[in-house]
Amino acid sequence: MSSALDPGHPALDTAAALDPTAAADPVGWTPYRRFDARRLARFLLRRPGLVLSVLVIGAVFAASFAPGLFTSRDPLAGTPAQAFRAPGAGHWFGTDELGRDLYARVVHGTALSLQATLIALGVAFAVGGLLGLLAGFAGRWIDDVLMRCVDVMLSIPALFLSLALVTALGYGTVKVALAVGVASVAAFARVMRAEVMRVRQAVFVEAARSSGARWYSVLGRHVLPNAIGPVLVLATLEFGTAILSVSSLSFLGYGAAPPAPEWGSLISNGRNYLANAWWMTALPGLTIVATVLAANRIARALDGEWARQR
Amino acid sequence: MGRTWSALTVPGALVVAVGLVAGCGDGGSGAGASGTPRSGGTLTFAVGSDAACVDPQQVGSNDTIYSVRQLVDSLTDQDPATGRIVPWLAQRWEVSKDARTYTFHLRQGVTFSDGTPLTADVVKANFDAVPKLGVLGLLAKGYLNGYEGTTVVDPLTARVRFKSPNAQFLQATATHSLGIESAASVRKTPEQRCAQGIVGSGPFVLAKYAVNQSITLTRRKGYAWGSSLWKKQGEAYLDRLAFKVLPESGVRTGGLQSGQVDAIGSVGRADEAALKASGAQLLARANPGVVFGITFNNARFKDERVRQAISLAVNRRQVAETVFPAGTRPATSVLAHTTPGYTDLGPLLALDQARARSLLDSAGWTAGSDGVRTKGGAKLAVTVKWFANAATNRPSLELVQQQLKAVGVQVELKEQQIAQLAQIQASGDFDALWGNITRADPDILRSSYSTRLANIYKIPPSGLDTVLDEQAAATDDAARRRLVGQAQREVVQRAYVVPVVELQTELGVAKKVHDLRFDASSRIQLHDTWIG
Amino acid sequence: MRRYVLRRLAQAAGVLWAAYTVSFLVLNRLPSDPVTAMAGVGADQAGVDPAQVARLRAEYGFDRPVLAQYADYLGRALRGDFGDSVATGRSVTSTIGDALPQTLLLAGTAMLLAVAAGGGLALAATYTSRRWLRQALLSLPPLGVSVPAFWAGLMLVEVFSFRLRLFPAFGNEGLRGLVLPALTLAIPTGAIIAQVLAKSLLTALDEPYVATARAKGAGRARIHLRHVLRNASLPALAVIGVLVGQLMANSVVVETVFSRNGLGRVTASAVSTQDLPVVQGVVVFGAFVFVTANLAVDLVYPLLDPRIVVAGDRRWSLA
Repeated sequence: MSSALDPGHPALDTAAALDPTAAADPVGWTPYRRFDARRLARFLLRRPGLVLSVLVIGAVFAASFAPGLFTSRDPLAGTPAQAFRAPGAGHWFGTDELGRDLYARVVHGTALSLQATLIALGVAFAVGGLLGLLAGFAGRWIDDVLMRCVDVMLSIPALFLSLALVTALGYGTVKVALAVGVASVAAFARVMRAEVMRVRQAVFVEAARSSGARWYSVLGRHVLPNAIGPVLVLATLEFGTAILSVSSLSFLGYGAAPPAPEWGSLISNGRNYLANAWWMTALPGLTIVATVLAANRIARALDGEWARQR
Repeated sequence: MGRTWSALTVPGALVVAVGLVAGCGDGGSGAGASGTPRSGGTLTFAVGSDAACVDPQQVGSNDTIYSVRQLVDSLTDQDPATGRIVPWLAQRWEVSKDARTYTFHLRQGVTFSDGTPLTADVVKANFDAVPKLGVLGLLAKGYLNGYEGTTVVDPLTARVRFKSPNAQFLQATATHSLGIESAASVRKTPEQRCAQGIVGSGPFVLAKYAVNQSITLTRRKGYAWGSSLWKKQGEAYLDRLAFKVLPESGVRTGGLQSGQVDAIGSVGRADEAALKASGAQLLARANPGVVFGITFNNARFKDERVRQAISLAVNRRQVAETVFPAGTRPATSVLAHTTPGYTDLGPLLALDQARARSLLDSAGWTAGSDGVRTKGGAKLAVTVKWFANAATNRPSLELVQQQLKAVGVQVELKEQQIAQLAQIQASGDFDALWGNITRADPDILRSSYSTRLANIYKIPPSGLDTVLDEQAAATDDAARRRLVGQAQREVVQRAYVVPVVELQTELGVAKKVHDLRFDASSRIQLHDTWIG
Repeated sequence: MRRYVLRRLAQAAGVLWAAYTVSFLVLNRLPSDPVTAMAGVGADQAGVDPAQVARLRAEYGFDRPVLAQYADYLGRALRGDFGDSVATGRSVTSTIGDALPQTLLLAGTAMLLAVAAGGGLALAATYTSRRWLRQALLSLPPLGVSVPAFWAGLMLVEVFSFRLRLFPAFGNEGLRGLVLPALTLAIPTGAIIAQVLAKSLLTALDEPYVATARAKGAGRARIHLRHVLRNASLPALAVIGVLVGQLMANSVVVETVFSRNGLGRVTASAVSTQDLPVVQGVVVFGAFVFVTANLAVDLVYPLLDPRIVVAGDRRWSLA
């Protein structure tokens, strides 16, 4: 999911491609901004699409933690007599080859897909963030060495790197998530480093330093809180990309074993009946599209739009 | 013929052709045979998997047998309607009374596609090489069990000798596994033969093999020694056969519906209606041999009660009716009902959840909080390894998984590449395997379950071994039938394997394809096939 | 200028070496033993033959220290020898070489489609003065990057192959067979081109020279195409490396969906069968293409815009 490969960053596009430091619009130097409810309401009212996106992502998270809110059906137990029912009132998304309710499977699959996505993001965020922090804060040869490593990681197309890792680690949701996460460490390291270097030169950091504060206190109190924002924005951007990468790998058959209803595996299974049961492929796919679209829309709002709107 | 095994294969006992043909109804004996046959054209056949090997003697997966079968001729052929063994490369043969010596008189003028002639020496070289085949040659090696040697009586007469009676051998010579290859091919290592292909005398020759993608064959010029069962004399009708590997059944089905391919293998119930509606022909034939089922690694599942409970908890009828083509029978023995010597053990294989539960209770497996039974902290879980070489495998297993969950047995499914099958079997690294073996002879029981042979499934030695050996030596039909029945009962009662459903091969074939026929093992014969 | 070129070449070589090393480490430190997997084919029914395992171990050099193996492998890789495929026994170089033309054809066609569609969309969106049209056009690229390539391919197959029967659903034959896979592959790529180009077009439209040209009486279309597009396409060129990498990666998925022979399918099947030499060969090849594309951009860039030389340093790695 590193930007080197993936369907790009909808918001981080040009700017990021040319200059990572531009990736994050400085949200301002005041570390703590007072919450302004009216501004938020006005902001959202003008953007119905954004509101919808927030609702979609909210629903996805809700479904992964409490699938019971959305369906009472068992995603693993079907009634063979009701196989291949087209979508309708009884089964919103239709049924599969064993008569299992596809809607229930998509809802319950959310947990797996989201879990994999969050693990991937967590790995990329933690490892990449740490590398970037170290490189940006320590500077000199450490910076040089770490950034050369990052360059190398970026030079291997992310999916290929993920595939190599899957070959080495084996199949499974968590392993796929790890592979995707490791492949996108580099992007996080870059942004983190750029931010740390920018913040490090800011006046208040210099002031803290010259007043004799210890390095770790400078790092923890001043540098990290001010540099983390853009990295979090990157994480929201990468959220959509990570969902796509994880589902691609599980579509290729490297993800969860049957009957686990991971989104990519659902599509891959639906493909067996593509000619005669379109819903088994189309509807889980639309769920992915809606989730990624919503995540990207939110990321775009966080990255710039909100700050620009005054 | 001596009093050999073939007498058991009385008409009707061996083969039942199940007709499913849309608006055609010729009983599955072949695609519609109207019009005048004509030469030329390419048949594009989509299969689901590639065995990573193009040597007929080493291939056991139907998807690949369909193509490599066309490369070689066999000494004999077997009539799919009657089960009788008839001449092919051998014009006639004699079998000794003790079923230890088989003398084949070869046809004159047969050449391999490298120009070398078929002689008794070549036959000897083939049989001599079979025992040296690797794990992939398991089927062929099983057929030659107890092989002593071959004597070249004269250039066209070969005498095959066995140390002990081998009643099934004559039928085995009709299979693709003992198809005769050229002397040069036989000299190569098994790996080379797999990767580079072989030179045979069959109606088609290998033009190109792209691993996991396609196998392309072209017509053999000057072919004139077809099986006595074939309608056409001389060369085949078709110019080219293109077997494409399309792993998704949906793509295969769609490809046939939209006319991109002419025939597809392994049609499941899900696609039958749509294929019929699009005008394709559906050809179905029940495969003889060991039925589809879950075979345990018996070293890991030593408790007979657990194995029996699992067998009792499987609803075979549901699997057959949900997943497999219409007319497929649930397993009623470890052998399919079309196998000679089959014994109906249906009552032993009926669904009985209550008994399954009490067996598990008595074995000390108690229900856990999540519904899975545990004993001493360990979960009652079986990891079934399976292969995507048939569209029906995955849904069948998911259904069995559901059924076993009801009695507290957790089934995990692990998909493997079909090319890895031999390695998994050899290493013994499995809880249980899902699969079947097609063979029109009950000796397949011995190859599969005798602890004196490969014993892939780590079955403990028992009286079963003796019964299996005795049936192989039995020259009396009734005696052999009795022994085969006893062996089936033993295997089913001990639940070394959980028989689930009989395989019924169903092919989808475009309307324009004629005379595509099944052979006795439910694989296909394409010499007589034509497009018009 | 010459020093710049030499430095960039050296950098590219360094990155390739490192990519090789990374893939070597990842793949050869496997938890599972590659030799046991390989021995399966020839082993006897009694189990994996220990003699054969030892022979394979020696043949592939697995019995030697990691560092010695690495040096040996690297030496051979420098001569273009990446070993033999475990599954087929053919050399990795020829396996990749045979599959490459099909993938190049596919990716090239997709790139043309993506440039035409993405560029056209960006031009139309920035040219039009109708607000609703601009909004509608600009909402397409975000959609394009949110669609999983494999799913888009399946939907195209469902509609155009199975229902309308216009194009084949699989295979490499003919131009008609190229249409759907190239279209699938072009969707995410075109969406990125559209996004990047639209953004830089909008920026360029605000430049003073646009106002100057307008004051001089130049037509809108002329200004848009001659002045603005020319200036705006330079930054867009910088993402070519990203796009090439993306095309390669997506080809794995697209070739699987359309059962097309090519590098992508070789990769997918090598991963499934744990065919380490092939996986490594593909990873290194991917890095090679990516680095070469970026190198080309970096070398061409200064010719187009001499101011770039200094700023262009290391841009290739920003991706």
